[in-house]
Amino acid sequence: MKFQKTSALALGLTLLLAGCAQGAGSPAPGSEQQTVRQAEALTTSETWAKAAESGMSAAFGILHNSSGTPIALHQVSNAQGDEIQIHEMRGTGTGMTMAQLEGDLVIEPGKDAVLAPGGNHLMFMDLQQPLVAAQTARLTLEFADGSSTEVDFPIRNFDGAKESYDEHAGH
Amino acid sequence: MPGISVDRRALLGTTAAAALGGMLTGFGTGKLSVPAASAAEPGYRPFYGKYQSGILDRHQAHAVFAGWDLHWREGSKKDQLRAMLQMITEDAARLASGRGVLADTEPEMAQPGCELTLTVGLGQSLLDVAGHGQIGTLPHFAGDQLEQQYGQCDLLIQFCAQDPTVLQHAVRAVSKNLRGLASRRFAQTGFASPGVHGFRNLFGQLDGVNNPEGEVRAEAVFGQPGWIENGTTLALRRFEMDLDGWDEVDTAGRDHALGRRQADGSPLSGGSVDDPVDLAAVNGLGLPAIAANAHVALARPGSADEVMHRRGYNFAGQASGLLFASYQRDPATSFIPVQHRLAAADALNTWLKPVGSGLYAILPGVAEGGYLGEQLQM
Repeated sequence: MKFQKTSALALGLTLLLAGCAQGAGSPAPGSEQQTVRQAEALTTSETWAKAAESGMSAAFGILHNSSGTPIALHQVSNAQGDEIQIHEMRGTGTGMTMAQLEGDLVIEPGKDAVLAPGGNHLMFMDLQQPLVAAQTARLTLEFADGSSTEVDFPIRNFDGAKESYDEHAGH
Repeated sequence: MPGISVDRRALLGTTAAAALGGMLTGFGTGKLSVPAASAAEPGYRPFYGKYQSGILDRHQAHAVFAGWDLHWREGSKKDQLRAMLQMITEDAARLASGRGVLADTEPEMAQPGCELTLTVGLGQSLLDVAGHGQIGTLPHFAGDQLEQQYGQCDLLIQFCAQDPTVLQHAVRAVSKNLRGLASRRFAQTGFASPGVHGFRNLFGQLDGVNNPEGEVRAEAVFGQPGWIENGTTLALRRFEMDLDGWDEVDTAGRDHALGRRQADGSPLSGGSVDDPVDLAAVNGLGLPAIAANAHVALARPGSADEVMHRRGYNFAGQASGLLFASYQRDPATSFIPVQHRLAAADALNTWLKPVGSGLYAILPGVAEGGYLGEQLQM
C-alpha cells in the first residue's frame, strides 16, 4: 500500500486502538494511542472488476474499516484517467435505480461496505482501455482525510448486472 | 495485507449473507481470508503443496477432463499466459477449499466439501510460449481414428471430486472465467468406483490392478528425469468400447484377451489378483497360460522406466468407453512405447476405438501466494 500524507486533515483522527484486534493500522505493542489515516484503516477482500472492451464497467468487493472511527471513501481514480464514480442502488426489488452517491461512502468502525452486482459499486463511466479478463485493474481509493491507497481488482468475466447500465436517470 | 479470518462453517448457508452485510444474499459468500483447507480437514484435499493434487492421491469417483485452446490479444503472449495461470490458480485454490470463484453467481455450489481437485497441465504449444520445457506431443498410434473434438489442446484441467454437482460447478466456474481468453474444445466427463483393486471398466474388467503404489508410484510420476522438478506429464486417451461386440464374447474369450479373469482380476497364470503375471506359465496343454497378445502381456512394464500411474475413468453416453489417463515422468520411455506395443497387437483392440489423444505437461505444485507455472520463469 502507498499512503499519501496530508497531515492537516489527519489531525482530528486520533484513535484509540487498544481494542482493535485486526487491520492494517494495528499499533506497535505498548502503544495506546496513534493517529491512523483513513486509508490505513482499510482492508479489502473479494475485489474484482467486470471485464469490458469499452464503455462502462464496474468494480466490486468488500471494503472493511478496521479502525475505531468512521472512514469516508471520497474519490476513486486510476492511472488511465478513467472517470470512476461511486454508485448506490436505491429502492428495492424491480424498482431499484442507480445513482451516483451524494457525498462520500462512509464505512462505520469495524464495518464493511459491500460493493456487489445489484448493490453499491464503483462505476467506470467510459473506459480508456479495455478491462481484460485475468488481468488486474489497480484503483486508487482516496479518503476524506486526503489519504489514499491502491487496491487491485482482478478482472473477471461477468454477464450479470446489466441493469445497472441501463438506468442512469439519477445522474 | 491482514485479512479477517472467518471460519468457513460460520459463513455457510443462511448466515453467509448476514455476515457480509445483509441484502446481497447469495453473492460473494465465503471466507474473507484464504487459509487453505488443511489436508486433515474432511472433504478437502490440499491445493497448495510440492505437487498438484489429483495425481498421487486417491482416485475420486467423478472427473471432468476439460481442454482449451487459447486466444491471443496483441502484446506479450507470456504476459497473457501468466495472467491466465494466475487466475486459474486463484480459482482452483478457492474451489478446492469450498468457496466460489470471484464473480461466481452460484457460490453455494462449491459446497459441500467433496475432495475436489483441479490439476492443471499445458500442451507443448504453451511450453513454447513460456520458453521452458519440452514434452512433445503424442505420436500416431496404430488404429487411431482420432476426432478433432478430443484432440490435443493448449490447456488441460483435470477436475475430480466425489460429488458430481460440485464438480460441474467447478468446471462451469473456471470455464466462465476463461471465456474470451480461450475456447473450450472438450469437457470429457468420467466416473469410476475405485475399490481395493482398481475399478470396473465398462467391459467389466478390473482396471488398474497392477497400478504402482507408494514410493514406486511417486518415482514413476515425479522421479527424474522429468521435464521439470515436481511436475509430470499426463497422457489422455479416449477409447470408445464396442460393447455390442463385447457382448458376443464368452467368458473364456474375454479372459484370454485380457490375460486376467474378469470375475476377480486374477492372472490366468495362476494365483490371486495380487499375484504377479507370469508370462512363462503354461496351461494343461503346454501352451502359454497368458497369450503373447493378451492385454496384460503387452501392457506390463518391461522396466522401471516404463512404469506409469493410471488414473482413468469410464465414460458413457452416445458412446461408451474409457478415458485413459496416465501420469508418468517421461512419456518417451513409458507411455509411448507401451502404447505402441498395445496398438500393434493387443487382443482387446478388436473392441476398442481410439478417438482422442493428447499429452500435457502437468505443472509443479505451488505454495500459498504463488501461482501454477511460476517455475517456468516467464
